[in-house]
Amino acid sequence: MIYEIRHLTNLRYDGLVRLARLNLRLKPAPWPGQVLHDFTLTIEPRPAMIEEDTGPWVVHRHRLTMRDPLAKLAIESRLRVEVAPPSFALDMAVGPTVTEVRAAALAHRDLSAMSPASYLYASPMAASSAEIASWAQPFFTPDATVMQAGRAIMAAIHAGFDYDGTATEVQTPAIDAFHQRRGVCQDFAHIMIVAARAHGIPAAYVSGYLRTIPPAGQPRLVGADATHAWVDLWCGAALGWVGFDPTNNVFVGSDHIFTAMGRDYTDVAPIDGVFLGGGGQRMTVSVDVMPVG
Amino acid sequence: MPAHAVPAVNRLKDYPVDVVAGDLFRHASGPVAEKWVTMANGLFALSQGSGLAAQELVARQIQDLGMSFRMTGDDEERVWPLTPMPLIIGAAEWAEVERGLAQRARLLEALAADIYGPQRMVSGGYLPAAVIAGSRFFARAMAGLAPRGGHHIHVYAADLARGPRGQWRVLGDRLRLANGVGYALENRLALSRSTGSLLSDINTRRLAHFFAELREGIAQDCQRDAPRIALLTPGHFNQSYPEQAHLARYLGFPLVEGRDLAVIEGKLYVRTIGGPKRIDALWRWIDTNSLDPLSFDARSTIGVPDMADAWGRGGLTMANWPGVEVVEEPAIAAFLPRLCRALIGEAPILPSVATWWCGQPVEAALVRDRLEELVITPAFGRPVEGLPPGARKVPGASLSRAERDTLLAAMARRPMDYCAQEIVELSTTPALVGEVFEPRAFTLRAFVARGTGGEWAVMPGGFARLSPSGEMLTTLMGEGDLSADVCVVDDAPAAQFGGTMLGGTPAIRRGGGILASQAADNLFWFGRYGERAEMTVRIVRAILGSSIEVDAGAGGNPAVRARLVGVLAEWGALDEAGAKLPAPQACRAALAEAVMPGGVAALLDTLRRVGLSLRDRFAPDFWRIASRPLPALESHRPGALLRVARELVERFSALSGLGAEDMVHGPAWRFLDIGRRIERALSICRILRQLGEVGDEADRLGMLLDLYDSQITYRSRYLTGPARDPVFDLLLLDPDNPRSLAYQVLALERHIAALPALHEDALPEAPLRDVRALLAPLTSMTVAAIDADLLQDIEARLLALSDAISARYFLQFEKTGTDHRASLLA
Repeated sequence: MIYEIRHLTNLRYDGLVRLARLNLRLKPAPWPGQVLHDFTLTIEPRPAMIEEDTGPWVVHRHRLTMRDPLAKLAIESRLRVEVAPPSFALDMAVGPTVTEVRAAALAHRDLSAMSPASYLYASPMAASSAEIASWAQPFFTPDATVMQAGRAIMAAIHAGFDYDGTATEVQTPAIDAFHQRRGVCQDFAHIMIVAARAHGIPAAYVSGYLRTIPPAGQPRLVGADATHAWVDLWCGAALGWVGFDPTNNVFVGSDHIFTAMGRDYTDVAPIDGVFLGGGGQRMTVSVDVMPVG
Repeated sequence: MPAHAVPAVNRLKDYPVDVVAGDLFRHASGPVAEKWVTMANGLFALSQGSGLAAQELVARQIQDLGMSFRMTGDDEERVWPLTPMPLIIGAAEWAEVERGLAQRARLLEALAADIYGPQRMVSGGYLPAAVIAGSRFFARAMAGLAPRGGHHIHVYAADLARGPRGQWRVLGDRLRLANGVGYALENRLALSRSTGSLLSDINTRRLAHFFAELREGIAQDCQRDAPRIALLTPGHFNQSYPEQAHLARYLGFPLVEGRDLAVIEGKLYVRTIGGPKRIDALWRWIDTNSLDPLSFDARSTIGVPDMADAWGRGGLTMANWPGVEVVEEPAIAAFLPRLCRALIGEAPILPSVATWWCGQPVEAALVRDRLEELVITPAFGRPVEGLPPGARKVPGASLSRAERDTLLAAMARRPMDYCAQEIVELSTTPALVGEVFEPRAFTLRAFVARGTGGEWAVMPGGFARLSPSGEMLTTLMGEGDLSADVCVVDDAPAAQFGGTMLGGTPAIRRGGGILASQAADNLFWFGRYGERAEMTVRIVRAILGSSIEVDAGAGGNPAVRARLVGVLAEWGALDEAGAKLPAPQACRAALAEAVMPGGVAALLDTLRRVGLSLRDRFAPDFWRIASRPLPALESHRPGALLRVARELVERFSALSGLGAEDMVHGPAWRFLDIGRRIERALSICRILRQLGEVGDEADRLGMLLDLYDSQITYRSRYLTGPARDPVFDLLLLDPDNPRSLAYQVLALERHIAALPALHEDALPEAPLRDVRALLAPLTSMTVAAIDADLLQDIEARLLALSDAISARYFLQFEKTGTDHRASLLA
């Protein structure tokens, strides 16, 4: 499946800000099964400096420095990307047990951003929680396979939590959303990550886009799509990282477009940075995911 | 009385014989044991045979040095508990410790270089990747970046225990912060100042060389020949700020905070009153995660954006290199013996306390089986399930059956979060308790620095912690703990490294070094708050009738008194209710007022808070007076209140005197004085206006002379009682009266003219132009021209001058914003 994606972010500051320095994590990092054909980034006003790098997670980063004082900033990325369907039938996959995956991750001899060892521990927005751990206990029995456990917990989140765009904010930690039993994709992903890590299973936060299918008979609305987030669990050396989308209770397939992977939202935030002065700020985002073939 | 003149009573004669076999004194070799006795006897001799007096002697030095500390949860600083009796360690025994520490430093350096470099230990199976990934201190962004000089570690501290059979072992490594290095230094200063020649009598090795090496080691890694090295502090709210301030002052490093610094084109600069100045190296006392919000934790507000650029491009030497603290994790300690052989091909000289990481099946099984004999500890410092929150080391034997089951279940789910260690027994050292020496368990924090040529230098001594309970250390000091100096002694007096603190003959220089804009700002406000407090107290004193006028007494006029109470209210020293009180009660309220910003108690508190961040610039005496709280207000009686007001005025005079006499008359002193002069000039204008036409003129003018300590001058000049023109001339225009307006403005002009310029065009900058515009009419007008409008105009110009000074010299108040990480999420 080939997509054309347009992602527009408008930032407005209440006063003039000086020396704004931003990290953008908008360009998809290389990912198996996905080919990036084209990427353009347009920033208005033009930054004094743009640098690019990759890492330290599975992240492609643009670093912007704005020298001239500014009151608003428009960031537009456009990309054309090809996503292959999963190479095996995820529904049929079995894979190793929780006990086996834990042992394999702990014995891993790789510290890279793709290594399961890098996703075993608590992270800034996915702090460990005894409460979430015991909630997830029934899913992570020692003899269950990680595929089974992942599917069960994904279904449990989908069934037990309400999707509510007003319940949480972008900085809400996993445990708060867990208590409220509501939130958005980011919250659901964080909860699932905390649950899996509580049982020693490597779990990663993935940011990306989701193709939305308009209801039958209605046209696709331009700009109404959104950025999305889901969870990758490491299911042993043979299966590797497998994507679970707890918001929609589906495996990640060719409707999901990968942007970046890290321990939690903070590692892959589309935009963060610092500036001098200003005061308040508002941000509007519009995303358009268009299948083109 | 010199030590050798003391009758030969052996003060250690009654020290217990049946102590554990590792006791430092009982099991010292002959010559070292003699030194213990010399020291013990000497301490008693110095204090006329009283152990308590010896402790007081040391305590006095500690006060003089201004040594203090805070424990977690403390708001106030505590007095540092130093016990007079040092630990005495013979040269032969220390040589082995030294060798072991230098080897360990080499090992940790090699390990850090591997973790952030080729990661051979991980790929080779010597160190599981999960051990590194588990550390909060593993700075993934640093992978592949190596320091220009090749040195990841400059300063390293190790906690050592001496076991019951006298063998030393390492309890833990500290790469993040070398807490205690400043206290080791202060302990030595306090002890040597209070014990005369005792330390040299027993041939104690000096510490100065170590600090010289530390500094040289950092300097050698810098790009420039005469590098500027700064100490980066999280700020004065930090627990170890007093230590950081002391070290900075001792080493001559500017003490800087993140907001003082900026990165410009890959180089780090400190914003000073003379413009940005390059910083070549930082001794950081900030965690890696907080160093740069753009590379690490985006929420950090104490770091410097883009600082990673500066070190990444080689323009900034870091001590220590960001990320090295990963090697101090307990889980890593479990692998050090193996890594020592793999990385540097040697067997460890100093053993670590035996540690098992439960992330491996064999080790986890061993720990389960031997739980009773081991202590369980979080593998990566953060709290873990199954151990009480905040617990660092829990003996397996102390757990109930239920606790044990909970722990084992949690360990089964996340074995990688746990380490187990053998139980370490500590040997003892003689500690002076009351009048006798008693054995106390101890641990020793030792310090290692990279010196000249990159070689490791071990501080001969360190920081000892004596614990009443014999408990293991987790923090620097615990409740009820004592600290002791550690003396490494030679058999014969060794050729000592130069007598000065840092040795060698430094290049001659003058001035106060650089002055960060932030510090200048604080000094300025310290001056202003101090003067405001002083003036408020002077008004209180005047109201309470401290006039030397016995007849009529200006303070006796009720209308003038009421007007002065009104002034207190206008200055925010009294609230509405307070302003309605009778004069003496109003005075008491103004002194005690801690909420209204102009109350004396509130001003003293503000003064102390501003002063905290200037600690490295103030002499201890100065600071001691400035931070003293308000004297107790025990009575409402005017006489008692007057005594308090007088004591406070004396205190302020002492501060002015110390400021003038003890501070180098460089920019720092100038900013302190600029603050004071501006505030004093403002208060003259205000009081003259606010007293207005109240009451009898003679009373009013007499009161003014009182307030400005000018009665005696006036009466030596004029035979008549106070009259308007002579009084106004004396208080406003006389350039020789140190309390006159003209004097303040003249002083301001001199100060501002002497400050560094930004440009080389020699044109006066805005503050100088402003102050000269203010000065010119004052030097040329006569007293007849003065009226309320003019006073108001001068007041407005003074306020504008204050703004011009802050705009030019201080950091503009620019809050660094953090972009909300926001996105639209499905």
